Amino acid sequence: MGSRHVSWFIDIVVIFILISGCSTDNSRVSETEVVLKWADMTNHITRYTPSNSPTFASRAYAYIALTMYESVVHGFPDHNSMAGQLNGLDSLPKPDLKQDYNWVLSMNAAQSRIIKSIYQQTSDENKLKIDSLEQVIFEHFSDTLSQDLVDRSINYGERVANAIFEWSKTDGGHRGYLKNFDKNMVHPNFPGSWKPPLYAQSFSHYPLHPHWGENRTFVKANREIPEPYMIPYDTVPGSPYYNQFMEVYTKEQTLTRKEKEAAIWWGDDPDVTFTPPGHSYYIATLVVGEKNPDLIMASEAFAKTAMAVADAFIKCWEWKYHFFSERANTYIPKFIDAEWESFWPDPPFPAFPSGHAIQAASAATVLENTFGEQFVFTDRAHEGRERDEVRDTDFVVRTFDTFWAFAQETADSRFYGGIHTPQDNEVGLEMGKTIANNVIALEWKKQKTAK
Amino acid sequence: MEKAKDREMNQINSNIFSIVFFFIVVGVSGQTMFTDVTQDAGIEHVFLVYEGTFGGGATVFDVNNDGFEDIFITSGMSKDALYINNGDGTFLDIYDRSGLDISKNYVTQGAVSADVNRDGHRDLFITTINTTDGSQKIPRAKNLLFLNNGDSTFRDATEAFGLQDLNSFSTGPSFGDFNADGYPDLYIGNYFQNFEGKLGIIKDATIVSANQTAKGYLLINREGKRFENVYEEYNLDHKGFGFGGVFTDFDNDGDQDLLVNQDFGYKAVPNLLYENQYPKNRFEDVGKEKEMDLKINAMGSAVGDYDNDGDMDYYVTNIKFNQFMVNQGPDGVFVDRSKELGTYSLAISWGANFADFDLDGDLDLYVSNGDLNPNCVPMGNFYFENNQGVFTDKGRMTKSNDYGVGRGSVVFDYDNDGDLDILVVNQKPIYEYPVESTTKLLRNDTPKGNYLKVVLNGISAEKNGIGSRVTVVSGGNRMIREIDGGGSSHISQNSTIAHFGLGENTKVDSIIVTWTGGKEQLMLNAPINTLVTLVERPDDPDYFVYFLSIGLVGLLTLLLIYFKKRKRV
Repeated sequence: MGSRHVSWFIDIVVIFILISGCSTDNSRVSETEVVLKWADMTNHITRYTPSNSPTFASRAYAYIALTMYESVVHGFPDHNSMAGQLNGLDSLPKPDLKQDYNWVLSMNAAQSRIIKSIYQQTSDENKLKIDSLEQVIFEHFSDTLSQDLVDRSINYGERVANAIFEWSKTDGGHRGYLKNFDKNMVHPNFPGSWKPPLYAQSFSHYPLHPHWGENRTFVKANREIPEPYMIPYDTVPGSPYYNQFMEVYTKEQTLTRKEKEAAIWWGDDPDVTFTPPGHSYYIATLVVGEKNPDLIMASEAFAKTAMAVADAFIKCWEWKYHFFSERANTYIPKFIDAEWESFWPDPPFPAFPSGHAIQAASAATVLENTFGEQFVFTDRAHEGRERDEVRDTDFVVRTFDTFWAFAQETADSRFYGGIHTPQDNEVGLEMGKTIANNVIALEWKKQKTAK
Repeated sequence: MEKAKDREMNQINSNIFSIVFFFIVVGVSGQTMFTDVTQDAGIEHVFLVYEGTFGGGATVFDVNNDGFEDIFITSGMSKDALYINNGDGTFLDIYDRSGLDISKNYVTQGAVSADVNRDGHRDLFITTINTTDGSQKIPRAKNLLFLNNGDSTFRDATEAFGLQDLNSFSTGPSFGDFNADGYPDLYIGNYFQNFEGKLGIIKDATIVSANQTAKGYLLINREGKRFENVYEEYNLDHKGFGFGGVFTDFDNDGDQDLLVNQDFGYKAVPNLLYENQYPKNRFEDVGKEKEMDLKINAMGSAVGDYDNDGDMDYYVTNIKFNQFMVNQGPDGVFVDRSKELGTYSLAISWGANFADFDLDGDLDLYVSNGDLNPNCVPMGNFYFENNQGVFTDKGRMTKSNDYGVGRGSVVFDYDNDGDLDILVVNQKPIYEYPVESTTKLLRNDTPKGNYLKVVLNGISAEKNGIGSRVTVVSGGNRMIREIDGGGSSHISQNSTIAHFGLGENTKVDSIIVTWTGGKEQLMLNAPINTLVTLVERPDDPDYFVYFLSIGLVGLLTLLLIYFKKRKRV
């Protein structure tokens, strides 16, 4: 599955939109479908922009999805803007509500603008793809409208995107792909401290984004969450700490085919996929595609999901560097089995708590709050990928009944992979919920006050 | 057809020889011992990393043709070293007056040498990853070629040979003669994406794409005047986190194939084995079908026929699990026998050298280990002694288990006493380190056993026999050596003098040289415990061309006479 397949897919999508654009029947492309096209495009850019990381990608999704929401929110009087509610975002451009706007055109322009700004490091070819999507949607939705209305809508969308981008620059993660690794930083060295992986996902022997935890959270309440408890270091067999790794070791001896499939499916290596945050964003596209909510509800779902995931990464990284804890690949060869190596290679950052677990729990919490706990869906994110020869395992699509089931499997998959202990996952899942609830608790809807 | 027949014969011969070999008593009395003579020899070197992990290497060559092999060592961020062998057990670093000093401006990595222009003096090629002045936003630089002036000085020929626009993050270089024209060609492993020419305005897009995998370079030597990159032309199409390759004839067909080592093979492109289709200008990757597509962190490789069965085996270094790839012959795949052969010790390994250190007629194995740096856990080097095909790590016992942050290692007989000594390039640890980590010269103090050293002198083949193979038959033991063009070990090059331990045998029955391209030459009853120089026998005159020329001259004369006569009429 190369980039060719994906661009071929996009071409088909674009042609589809073109064809429907030529017809006079606008109803053939719904507003929600436009939302989904942009979500797909965001996933595509995330996947095909080099030197990406789960941390940077989580941030990019959050700003892109927030822009989506803010570029349409004033068209829906029962909804609130996030201006004044998010950390340091005091205001955003407001539309002139005496005038008409086409909110799809506004969103279309805003998505194009914000993706190209946040992903300014992407290739020219990718930027062209963004422009062509913007162009076909523009043609489809603008042909019966007055020039004034069209201009006003586009202009508003762009102003919103620019304002959010300006605000984004001060969060600590702006152009974060240029500082993936801080080569001058000296990291602590103590019993149980993180060591550069030997069986590694990344060529870097420095840990990824050591300062990411200091970034501004989207939601103020998330900054305040105190660090969770971590079992103290111990080398005595039978001690709680030792047992954590013993569980990893034992699991590794008896991995079933299904567990191996889960382990590779959720790998979401940033070098070859849209990263774990992309996987969560993708699951949001599945439910939005299925439930077909209106423009504002669809945008809200993406904005909430992405901001919860972004805050989850910031908090997770804060704690990862607070505890600076080792991986099973360091502990097990030392105290259990010198020849042991994990099923899946180590990512380049400390272990506790699990980033996969925390972000999947955040996304699942938002989605179940928005759409209800039960949702049967099939995850085809890696369908058709060439089998993993090193691990002798295929990429097999997954079906789930609830959102939480996906979060649970995401967490478990890291345990199967041998790169996270049970406590990394349990704490990750727990904290992910808390972080998401703080996002949900924002005033998204206007309080109905009795007159 | 004829070639196939030859191969069949070789096969039969080697089978017979292995049966005979079984009955020979091997081994000399006494214990192999190494003595750290670094300080006494006047060597004072340590490799300084740029940001960690990468480099360095060394190349052994006789700079001044005095019969004592000299050594060039890269130093990364600091000044490289050119140690001239004084012949009395000491070395003198003449780098400052050698004409090599522009290499100071580059973060050097690996080094190899060969007589690029066939003038009788070995030239020097150095890979680099960056400039040292910190001016590069993306670490890349050209590699450096220096021609030997013959008076222990060099001149920079990078531009003259057309190499100045290849901006790369280059690791391991290897000389070989894949088109068998006598001029040494190069394969260069690159780790991160290459750029052609100067980088203009650097956008974020350029920076983020810079850490992608890279193509290597296949540089063909155009008659000692220019190098030209023929990577695609010769059907090389891989990218990877390359640690270089080594030219070697794995299939015994007389041409040089190419084994490519790649880091992160389990996630990016794995190792490759390119079969040379000579005389066609083409390589075919047979890595998968020969099961040499190792998906590991391949750092380097040792090349040698450890079981004297007539084909080359490969020891590929890795993080933790090194792989001992045993050649199963033309119809078989390579099989990793590391565990059963006794070389399954865990470390982070880089350099590796097959050599008969104890002069008993089979190849032992030296492995240089070192942590990733800045991570700095000391790990001793391995010395695997070969006893009838089974290896035992005697690093500690032989005092060769140096604990420095090891990278490239090379073997050569610096004191010309008939056994092979070891030089290991060590990095300066970035963080605190409990033991000394500097480049080490380990003198082999094995009690005298019989040996033979063979120097090749190519006439139409490469000058020093790079790409050629020497077979020595002694006491029923048939030993083969390829002349090392570099890229073996880790980004380094061993001596080009073929070295054979003879055990208690006092007679060499024959020396067979297979020159690059497949031509064979035989020498009977060679002396032992000495160095033999074998000059390539000139090609037989081609009688067809000879008679054709006489015929043509005769015809022309007749025509001339005929026309002259007609004119008169």
